[in-house]
Amino acid sequence: MHPTNPTAHTDARSPAIVAHGIRKHYGHVEALRGASLSVGLGEIVALVGDNGAGKSTLMKVMCGAVAPDAGEVVLGGGLRVEAGRFNAADAGVGVVYQDLALAPHLSVLENIYLGHESLMPGRPRWLGLLDRRAMAGEAEAALRRLGIALPTVEVPVSLLSGGQRQAVAIARAVKWARSVVLLDEPTASLGTRQADIVVELIRNVARQGLGVLLISHDMDRLKRVADRIVVMRRGAVAAEFPAASVTLAQIVEAMLGGVSTVGAAA
Amino acid sequence: MSQPRPLALTEDDREDSLALPSNWRPRRAGAALSVFAVDAVAVLIFSALSGFVFLSPQSLSNIALDSSESVLLCIGVAFLLGAGELDISIGANVILSSVVGGKTMGAFESPLAASLAGAVVCVLCGAAVGACNALIVTRLRVTSFIATLASLGIVTGVAYVITNGYNIADVPLELQSDFGVAKLADVVPYPALIALAVAVGASFLLNRTRFGLQTLALGSSREAAVRAGVRVRAKLTTLFVLAGGCAGLSGFIDLGRYASTNISGHQTDALAAIAGAVIGGTNLFGGRISVWGAVFGALLAVILQDGLVVVGLAAFYQLIAVGIVLIIAVSLREFAGSGDDPTPLSGRLMNLLRGGAA
Repeated sequence: MHPTNPTAHTDARSPAIVAHGIRKHYGHVEALRGASLSVGLGEIVALVGDNGAGKSTLMKVMCGAVAPDAGEVVLGGGLRVEAGRFNAADAGVGVVYQDLALAPHLSVLENIYLGHESLMPGRPRWLGLLDRRAMAGEAEAALRRLGIALPTVEVPVSLLSGGQRQAVAIARAVKWARSVVLLDEPTASLGTRQADIVVELIRNVARQGLGVLLISHDMDRLKRVADRIVVMRRGAVAAEFPAASVTLAQIVEAMLGGVSTVGAAA
Repeated sequence: MSQPRPLALTEDDREDSLALPSNWRPRRAGAALSVFAVDAVAVLIFSALSGFVFLSPQSLSNIALDSSESVLLCIGVAFLLGAGELDISIGANVILSSVVGGKTMGAFESPLAASLAGAVVCVLCGAAVGACNALIVTRLRVTSFIATLASLGIVTGVAYVITNGYNIADVPLELQSDFGVAKLADVVPYPALIALAVAVGASFLLNRTRFGLQTLALGSSREAAVRAGVRVRAKLTTLFVLAGGCAGLSGFIDLGRYASTNISGHQTDALAAIAGAVIGGTNLFGGRISVWGAVFGALLAVILQDGLVVVGLAAFYQLIAVGIVLIIAVSLREFAGSGDDPTPLSGRLMNLLRGGAA
């Protein structure tokens, strides 16, 4: 098995998000040196690499949290992601941060809808009257579509276990995402069983037709859940493998620079 | 789109599955109800000790009147606390608002015009001080404790400069007789009606509107609120302005009740308001607000004050009593669970007995 060309798709899925020639430097440090990456609709792509390889920076550029020095990020519909974190969210890019960014005192429902509140129809908008019933119905439906069964969406997030919180954060991202969901280390802080449940959840996200890009160090689970594994090294994509047939040794070799760095010149 | 494979949710061990803790029940009004119960018990005890003088309509009406100002301050502070902020300048704001409002009243001939203009100016002045606090917090990035500690001094000083240290007595006496000490149907004091109306409005704002939800989000996790797109500066500014407006309204009630300013008073108002809000179940560090808890917390301080007088103890004991109640209330809440800790009371008591943190 040889690494494939990073700009080619493994199959003919239409793209959910494409990052092209992204460059970014912080002071003298070149975090990204022309990284290119695409995720298809319904596809799960895993981003791996050593610490400092540029994974997190690339993800931040793709969700619009960081403006690149050069290059562009384009969504499936041809929409460009501009820096300024809410533009990407408005454009349908969902992000699950490693710290989840949930408000512990608020309920599952309130966390899912925070910043996207449904207001009572027929009432003046400036009043900001919440339509809690509509939100509860939709939040339950969104959780159910992912196979998450909570008996009530009124429970405060502080009462949930780590896996449950991860599930809520993913459900929230999926609820507002229209093309792609980016996940940063979704299983890092979880026990074995909860991590397996979250992996199943990620599969369900892709089954809904969204593209999924995840950063993780959990190679075993990555190989099980991802369609494609993209290896980054020194701020660029070093290699890509179909997850089904790649070996751990091949991935590690690419991470450490043993394989020809096809993507570095892009 | 294919049907999702159901996740393994059958295990009820919450470490291992996505199932909820089985003992969870929604507890929304718990804090307010428990403080109300304490209020009721305190009233009954003082009534029994005073030969039921304390339970007379006259006495209850006095409690309502005496608490109207602190209820307003407690509500304003509860919203700020819930958003993770603090305002210790509201007592000074009451003074300045009443001073500016009182000066305004002196410029009018007709008592009605003077009173109405005074009311508007008091609220606007209070809101303006709140807006200044907000500017210091959101633009100069000074934490709200320091910002309002500074404005506490500045605002008090400005009030003293304006009045040269003397109280203003340009208040029309009609304001006192027809509003400040007047009662609807001879029972309900008008200032208490204002406080009640503000409480109803605040409760609506908290529970039914986007503003209330985002306020709690700001205090629960500032970072989560920012990432969810909550406009933090605008929300904080509104909260400081509302708290300042409550202080301004309180200043107007002060003018109405005493037909004068009280520039040497209100020294402990801000801390008393924080105490009342926290006794009522509002989280000092944000994320949880109880409007009715704040109302009953404010009432408790007044009940203790008036009750101690009725049973023949000096009112000074009220300060001691409120302090003790504050400690007991917060401590009980730590041990009894505050609605977002899943450990049941029995488990917490067991932990306590074992000497661990509950």
